[in-house]
Amino acid sequence: MRNSGAVLILTFIAKLILQAAGVSPPGKPRLTSCRSPEKETFTCWWEPGGDGGLPTTYALYYHLENSETVYECPDYRTAGENSCYFNKNDTSLWVNYNITVVASNALGKNISDPVEVDVVYIVQPNTPENVTAVVVHDEQGPFVRVSWEKPRTADTRSGWITLIYQIRVKQEKDEKWEEYDAGMQKYYNVFSLHPDKECMVQVRCKPDHGFWSEWTQTTYVKMPNYIPRERSLWILITIFSIFIVLILTWTLNVKRNSMKLCLLPPVPGPKIKGFDKQLLKSGKTEEIFNTLVIQGFPPTTDYENLLVEYLEVYDNEEQELVLDGKELSEDFMKSKSSSDNDSGRGSCDSRTLLLEKCMDGREGSGSDQHQYSQHGETSWASTESSESQGAEPGSPESTDGRAKTWPVVFPQPHHHYPVGAVKPAYHNVPEILNQLSPHATPSNYHQLHHQDIPQQELRFSKSACRHSQSYNQFNLDSIDTPAPGVPPLPSLEYVEVQRVNPENMLLLRPLSDPNREPERSDCTGEDYSKVKVVTSHNILLLQRDTSHQCVDDYSQADQCTTQQPPHPCKPAVHQWNSVMPQEGMRVMGNGYVDSTVLMPSF
Amino acid sequence: MSRSLKQVAVLLVALLCLDPHSRVSSAPICTHGPSGCHVPSLADLFDRVIQHSARMHSVSNDLHSEFEQYFLPSKNHIGKIYRKCHTSNILTPNGKENAQKLAREELTEVILKLLMAWRDPLFQLHQSMADQQDFNSFSSNKALEMGDMAHELRKGVEKVAEKMRVLGMLGNSVTGLSAAEAMLPLSESGEAMSDYELLYCFRRDSNKVQNYLKILKCRIVPEHDC
Repeated sequence: MRNSGAVLILTFIAKLILQAAGVSPPGKPRLTSCRSPEKETFTCWWEPGGDGGLPTTYALYYHLENSETVYECPDYRTAGENSCYFNKNDTSLWVNYNITVVASNALGKNISDPVEVDVVYIVQPNTPENVTAVVVHDEQGPFVRVSWEKPRTADTRSGWITLIYQIRVKQEKDEKWEEYDAGMQKYYNVFSLHPDKECMVQVRCKPDHGFWSEWTQTTYVKMPNYIPRERSLWILITIFSIFIVLILTWTLNVKRNSMKLCLLPPVPGPKIKGFDKQLLKSGKTEEIFNTLVIQGFPPTTDYENLLVEYLEVYDNEEQELVLDGKELSEDFMKSKSSSDNDSGRGSCDSRTLLLEKCMDGREGSGSDQHQYSQHGETSWASTESSESQGAEPGSPESTDGRAKTWPVVFPQPHHHYPVGAVKPAYHNVPEILNQLSPHATPSNYHQLHHQDIPQQELRFSKSACRHSQSYNQFNLDSIDTPAPGVPPLPSLEYVEVQRVNPENMLLLRPLSDPNREPERSDCTGEDYSKVKVVTSHNILLLQRDTSHQCVDDYSQADQCTTQQPPHPCKPAVHQWNSVMPQEGMRVMGNGYVDSTVLMPSF
Repeated sequence: MSRSLKQVAVLLVALLCLDPHSRVSSAPICTHGPSGCHVPSLADLFDRVIQHSARMHSVSNDLHSEFEQYFLPSKNHIGKIYRKCHTSNILTPNGKENAQKLAREELTEVILKLLMAWRDPLFQLHQSMADQQDFNSFSSNKALEMGDMAHELRKGVEKVAEKMRVLGMLGNSVTGLSAAEAMLPLSESGEAMSDYELLYCFRRDSNKVQNYLKILKCRIVPEHDC
């Protein structure tokens, strides 16, 4: 009793001492896995549970199913430490192995849990071998062909084991592998790889019932740099662009009118109503010119009234002389209009524009133009009023500081003229000039050089300047507004054409001229003639006023100097009762030529 | 008269018997029509048979793992008593060398024996699984399918063997196939095996069959797959 008790106590104390010393029986080992690479051998591994501080030995024992015979592991070394390798002789398929591992050290031993293993179901082959990846250039683009060989240990040739392969591919900078199943074949073509990138390939295999092998070592292959020719894409793009072009063309076609309007805006037509072609074709000249004429302007009524029967000379200090140029003769009178109404006249009629216009039409006429220009220039200038003689060239001044229009040629019985009667129907006849008598007061004389007027002016050329200058609009102003300077009737004086001097000047002289022949007393009021037409030979055609008694004398303005009235000169001026109107001239009913017809409408 | 008639009749009969064209021989019924029958080659037959056996094995594997999962939670169950399968008395090669040592005829015979041995047990398995309400209908259908596949596989292997014999690859040492015994699934102790045991055993045996067929194929028609 005491001995057993003492033994127990000693054992307990020994254990305590041993535990304090850190030694113990080994821990329980554990079989981790058993694997067969080719279904002919297999290996089992275990892990030790702890050696307990003492050297521990391990032993593996197994027995087959339905057999009690226990065998120990035949080979502890081939497979490494803590392993047991079963060779072909020791391996039986379709038989369960019951395997245990026993760990033992000085203090005791420990047995692991048994494990049932059927070799057929623990097959894990080795990795495939000789993995090669080659770039193959195809017409559709290059691809990689990966080929390998079966693991050396696996016997697929006899059909004992059947392997299926798997390949995975990763291009550089990709995160994930792409896996492809290759089945039982030993090659695989990898498409859809990006050009100019390195490609990594790995292969593994598996038996039809078993575990996957490990991946092979990485095989690198570099993809070449190529440009993928996507034919279908280009075809699609071409078709799409053609479609778009067709749509655009059709749209443009539909909208071409508005496009034209947008891109090429129509040029506005002329606002000026010119000649009507239809009328030209019809040949009715009257109608043609009627269209150009503004109705009512010039006043077509009372032309007779417009035509001044008298050439009134104002003897008014306020009248200003129209200065001529230096070339002008001393006989020239300056006259100015009492009014400056510019309305209704063309630009050339305007005082201010006259200069410019006159500049343009200057060529060729030499002194004429100069004169005219000067005349034009000076015509607006006001002359010194009272003292200026006709000989003095001066510049007519505007009375009111405004530009004056042409001097009034036709004076006084204007007041009964219609106000609207503006344009005198006078053509470029050399004006009836006033000859300034020494005592003559400044009057509205206006002298024109007949010969200065070029032919074309007489034909009412387009030279508006000349026209306007010779325009007998002088009465206009006086008609419109009775010039403030219009002297009362009694101061009116009449001039008559005395003669035409060799220079084609109409020399006028006042009717009250004492030089006048007394024979004309009968015809005081009526000794004047109307200019009918100017012929082509610078002939002033005067119309004999048949109603008048005084007929001939003063109608003659020709080379004849002093003629006896009963002897009419052979004048260049002929009396015509009826004159064929010149082309373009319109003969008014009372024999005056309407020069406005040929005037361009301003 | 009658003699000459008799002689003529005998002669006619003799001629008819000797005439080779008059012999009646069996011709296969072609389903593809008279234009041309596609007679499968031996390799094709083997491929079909092997595919069939693979499918059968996968079904049995699924059933077994399902059974193990639901009804036997622990793998190393104590109650897991391995009885011998009723086919254990059929000598089957348990290794590659052993299998390669067997002749074609023996190998073919082993296969056929195995398949034959499982005709009835599979039927029983299906019946017992259908009866028990633990199994869902899907599992019992699988068992039924398994039985049918085993049956068809057997027929197929028989045809292969027939073809081989025709081609002269097989000797006549193969005993009559119909002589394979239908074995009863009885353990040594005479008790009926449980469903799990049946499944376990059938899974193994289907694997064997598949393996043996592959060996046979690669030995007889070593083409691309071998």
